[in-house]
Amino acid sequence: MRKLEEVLQDWEAVIGLEIHAELTTLETKMFCNCKLEFGAEPNTHTCPVCLGLPGALPVPNKAAIESIVLAGLATNCDIEKRTMFYRKNYMYPDMAKNFQTTQGPVAFCMRGHLDLDVDGIAAKERPGALGREVGEAWENAVRTDEGYTAHVGITRIHMEEDAGKMVHVGGGEGRIAGATHSLVDYNRAGTPLIELVTEPDLRTPEEARLFMQKLRQIYLALGISDCSMEEGSLRCDGNVSLRRRGSGKLGVKTELKNMNSFKNLHDGLAYEICRQAEVLEEGGQIYQETRHWDPSAKRTIVMRVKETADDYRLFPEPDLAPYDLTDEFVERVRAKLPELPDARAARFAQTFGLAAYDARHLVEHRSTADFFEACMECAGEDAAALAKPVANLVINDVTAWLNAQKGASLQASPLTPARAVALVRLVSAGELSSKQGKEVFAAVLEEDRDPAAIVEERGMKQVSDAGAIEGVVDAVLAANPDKVEQYRGGKTGLLGFFVGQCMKEMRGQGNPKVINELLAKKLG
Amino acid sequence: MTQHLTERDVRGIAEYARIGLSDAEVAQMTIDLNAIIDSLKPITEYDLAGVPPTFHPIGGLSNVMREDAEEAGFPQAVALENAPKQQDGCFLVPSILGEGGDR
Amino acid sequence: MAATRDAFACMGVRDIQAGLAAREFSAREVAASALDRVRALDGATHAFLETTEQMALEQAEKIDAALSAAVASVPGAGAAGAAGTRAAAEAAGAALAACGPLAGVPVAFKDNMNLAGTHTTCSSRMLAAYVSPYTATCVARAIEAGGIPLGKLNMDEFAFGSSTETSAFGPSRNPWDLQRVPGGSSGGSAAAVAAGLATVTLGSDTGGSIRQPGSFCGVVAVKPTYGVVSRYGVVAFGSSLDQVGPFARSVADAALALDAIAGRDPLDCTSQEAGAGFAENLAEGVRGMRVGVVPAFMEAKGLTPEVRAKVEEAAGHLRALGADIVEVELPNAQAAMSAYYVLGPCEAFSNLARFDSVRYGYCDPGHADLGGQYEASRAKGFGPEARRRIMLGSYLLSAGVYETYYYPAQQVRTLITQDYARAFEQVDCILAPVSPRTAFRFGEVSDPTDMYLSDMFTISINIAGNGGMSLPVGLGAETGLPVGVQLISPQFKDHNMLRVAAALETVYGPAPVAPDFRECATFEAPAAIPDAAEAVPGKDLPGLATDGDAAAGAPVQGATNKEKGGSPMRSEGCEASERSMAEPPAPQVKRGGEGGRASSAAPTKRVPHEQGSPVDCPGEPGLSERLGAAEDARSQVEKAGE
Repeated sequence: MRKLEEVLQDWEAVIGLEIHAELTTLETKMFCNCKLEFGAEPNTHTCPVCLGLPGALPVPNKAAIESIVLAGLATNCDIEKRTMFYRKNYMYPDMAKNFQTTQGPVAFCMRGHLDLDVDGIAAKERPGALGREVGEAWENAVRTDEGYTAHVGITRIHMEEDAGKMVHVGGGEGRIAGATHSLVDYNRAGTPLIELVTEPDLRTPEEARLFMQKLRQIYLALGISDCSMEEGSLRCDGNVSLRRRGSGKLGVKTELKNMNSFKNLHDGLAYEICRQAEVLEEGGQIYQETRHWDPSAKRTIVMRVKETADDYRLFPEPDLAPYDLTDEFVERVRAKLPELPDARAARFAQTFGLAAYDARHLVEHRSTADFFEACMECAGEDAAALAKPVANLVINDVTAWLNAQKGASLQASPLTPARAVALVRLVSAGELSSKQGKEVFAAVLEEDRDPAAIVEERGMKQVSDAGAIEGVVDAVLAANPDKVEQYRGGKTGLLGFFVGQCMKEMRGQGNPKVINELLAKKLG
Repeated sequence: MTQHLTERDVRGIAEYARIGLSDAEVAQMTIDLNAIIDSLKPITEYDLAGVPPTFHPIGGLSNVMREDAEEAGFPQAVALENAPKQQDGCFLVPSILGEGGDR
Repeated sequence: MAATRDAFACMGVRDIQAGLAAREFSAREVAASALDRVRALDGATHAFLETTEQMALEQAEKIDAALSAAVASVPGAGAAGAAGTRAAAEAAGAALAACGPLAGVPVAFKDNMNLAGTHTTCSSRMLAAYVSPYTATCVARAIEAGGIPLGKLNMDEFAFGSSTETSAFGPSRNPWDLQRVPGGSSGGSAAAVAAGLATVTLGSDTGGSIRQPGSFCGVVAVKPTYGVVSRYGVVAFGSSLDQVGPFARSVADAALALDAIAGRDPLDCTSQEAGAGFAENLAEGVRGMRVGVVPAFMEAKGLTPEVRAKVEEAAGHLRALGADIVEVELPNAQAAMSAYYVLGPCEAFSNLARFDSVRYGYCDPGHADLGGQYEASRAKGFGPEARRRIMLGSYLLSAGVYETYYYPAQQVRTLITQDYARAFEQVDCILAPVSPRTAFRFGEVSDPTDMYLSDMFTISINIAGNGGMSLPVGLGAETGLPVGVQLISPQFKDHNMLRVAAALETVYGPAPVAPDFRECATFEAPAAIPDAAEAVPGKDLPGLATDGDAAAGAPVQGATNKEKGGSPMRSEGCEASERSMAEPPAPQVKRGGEGGRASSAAPTKRVPHEQGSPVDCPGEPGLSERLGAAEDARSQVEKAGE
């Protein structure tokens, strides 16, 4: 198979996503008062409604409706006030009623969009994008300084309920194929689910990944879901088809499932694009089918062929009253809209003079953005001056720490904004080397003490006094006459050796900048 | 009587509705359903242009919702009380794919 | 005791409560007598599928305890003298009122209503072993109102039918003539009240399933406005059409029962606050009220002269009582029939999808694959009528067909609703027939025209969601069987029809217990249906007692099982065993012995149904036949109109 970059030179990929998010931050299910809890003993969060017992009736969770309206407002959707629920009828054992309660042609949220900033390596996937003039618009994109911005349409976001969970027994690795029987747990059945469907506006796997990431940031900022791809509270299916560059005719699409991480989303789509290209280039035909991405085998495998469109016998749910949301309801939800990541990044850039790239990274997670903001408050008058180093601390050290400590909460950690700012001040003033800064950072988290106390106890003050350092430099040079000879004979790479020796002598406290300067002068 | 459905159609409907019918039952069902559908003809002959549907005969009732507050549900044993087959706290179903299944 | 027992049977709610307050008898006596009558007489009617003896007695004891405590707290209550007695009676009355409006009243529920710890079978093999873990709102409210729950009542399978002949457990019989159907689908609910086995029962009505059996059995039967009574816990047939309502032998009792169960339920989104007490303005009369009659209904082909005469007679009485009788038109009522047979099956198809052998219900054994288990369980668990309606609904909702039938049917609903709205601008209530004829015989080949029109008088009310009720107005001149007239209310003005009904009741009197069930000591046995009498008796069935009360006190089998806490009738694993069921009831009640002792027929619960309908009672004409006939009837009507 050819590589993605080559394939995309000849073929245009047309990608649409269907993204399901469970509203995990709610207390209860969509249509009953059963508790939402991941990982509980099987069938311990059920009632007549979510077990689909004869005679049970659904009652919608108001907070779920508020959540989807919030999601719609955050993704520039029109909020449809007059809408209703439908029954989607098909029999499957994880669906207690054997119909899914979902929405019909009119969803709560319609006709939205998100603008994606695509830059760096990601921008290279779209052929020719970086060859354009800054400001140039083409297709759904505009060239920017660092890449391009793509306008991605959102068809709709609708409200529905999740199915139960099944464990397949007797087949290989819990797979349904070959299983002798399956076990059904309805704890998850009825979990409020919002499904966002994009227009087929995505052109590269990177754009798909970025869209998913951006949506995740928004949902996290809204606080409507924990968006855990691992636990399945955020799930993504992709639709892909190819068309020859320059041809307007859409190809046959396949539906891709099991892309349960950002990497899998990218890699699954990339594989599928390449596979389709190969089939088409060999004169073959793409079938409308559902394919499963197998990350270990790094390929997609066919799950089933759709001979005809599924006929779900959709009809309006008679047990649920229709909606005619009031302006007041929508405005009350709008008032709850937090500052969204894009707006926040723009404000960070504006207020603190950060680069757009740094600002975007800060807002990737609500917790890091909040932390940065708290630091800026602590920094007081020095906020603008300290913004860049604080941002670096957050983007690099803090993020690395959070990634290493799975599930750790920054807000609950010993690194308070005050301590972070104190640390950054020490480094910026030259009192600590950046290396010492990292040591103190680790010590703060480890020992839960202020940076000043740690520096004090460890005697870590950086020595910048030229007089004190000169003595050490002289001693090092005097102790290594042969190396000095070699250096002067052109082996200038030895400078690092001398710096290291000086630092060793000074137990790491010498200001490397000053040492360097003195060494250069004396060896020169 | 109009032939709205063939026996093949009826088999398809039965498969979708998951009702196993013998050949004789399919034949009888085909006759029954065609007769019924024939009798529904008046509904197709009304001039309904511009008439809005009434899906819910509840007047202006709308936006009926509840607060997001937890209430106790069933203990596991009660949830499983009527289960024809169970295992490990779960409802048990035989092989889903069987022969030529899907999904 | 026997005399008291039969006296209770004819009492209304007020009589029972007056007696309880006066300490003439105890709630326990009421409960025990009622259970006794069920045991003794339900072999003839087969109204009950299960009795809840223990629940009934516990509820009765609760009421008695409250009464005793109230009386004991009155100083000097034990002392002789009029003042002490009066004070005690007042205290007892207050205590009784505190127990709720149905305190001490024997009640029973259609078997599509969940009552935790009892079976909810919907008269289907599919749910023969199902024991519900929760209680329907209407049932809970009736019991919270002090009702004494006697048990669960027979019906057409999943309410598909109008005779109870589609019940998997065998049909119920009309107490006025055991050779005839009680109507349906709430046939058991109507028969139980008509036979004096319960004072109040609840039924459900999707296209006439309360009103038609009410008319056939000569009892007051109320289908309130859609939304007045919560549907939570009532197994759905057509969700946008179903409504729960009471049966009773007087308008006041029905109104009291409706008061007890009505009102917004947070568990049913389509339920609404019903407004003022239904029993409050019954005595106000109809002077100045405008009552509509629909000429097209009165001239409908198939309306028997005896029913027509009764409706006209009722109109005459209303006029005499001071009401204005006004002619109104319902031009689109004709379309209700086809709209109903689109919407009903579509909703039923979806509602019945949950019966899949996974969480509950019949599970056909021995299948290695789910598809096979699904198909066999649903094929064997559902009766023919249920299968037909599921198939029809599945077809009508399929892509491309939806637009042809389902959507137009919902548009027709708009037209019919508008018809009623316009009519109710002119009148407060509409008077109409319920059924064009009186109860038919088992297996009687009915005139299909009757069938079609029978539905036509009731169905349009479900389509529009109005309130409608059947009021017994005596016996038909020709058949000598009960006739009901229908009173129809605007939405959420159900008290209109109840008020008109109460006025008519002053003329006709409250509904009597069917003659053969009044004084059971001298109960004249109706001739048995020959085939039924020959039906194979159940293995564990005692034969019918021929004299004395040898079997009196023998607990109803289902109740016994229940009380032992286990449910031996339930299936274990996938091997679905049937509920232990006897053969169809042999309707043979023999003359009682001397001295007022009741003859008691050991009741026979649970009919096996290996082959579907019992042999003695050929099923009602299938939907297709009815509709096929309906088509003929319609074309006749149309031709007649040209």
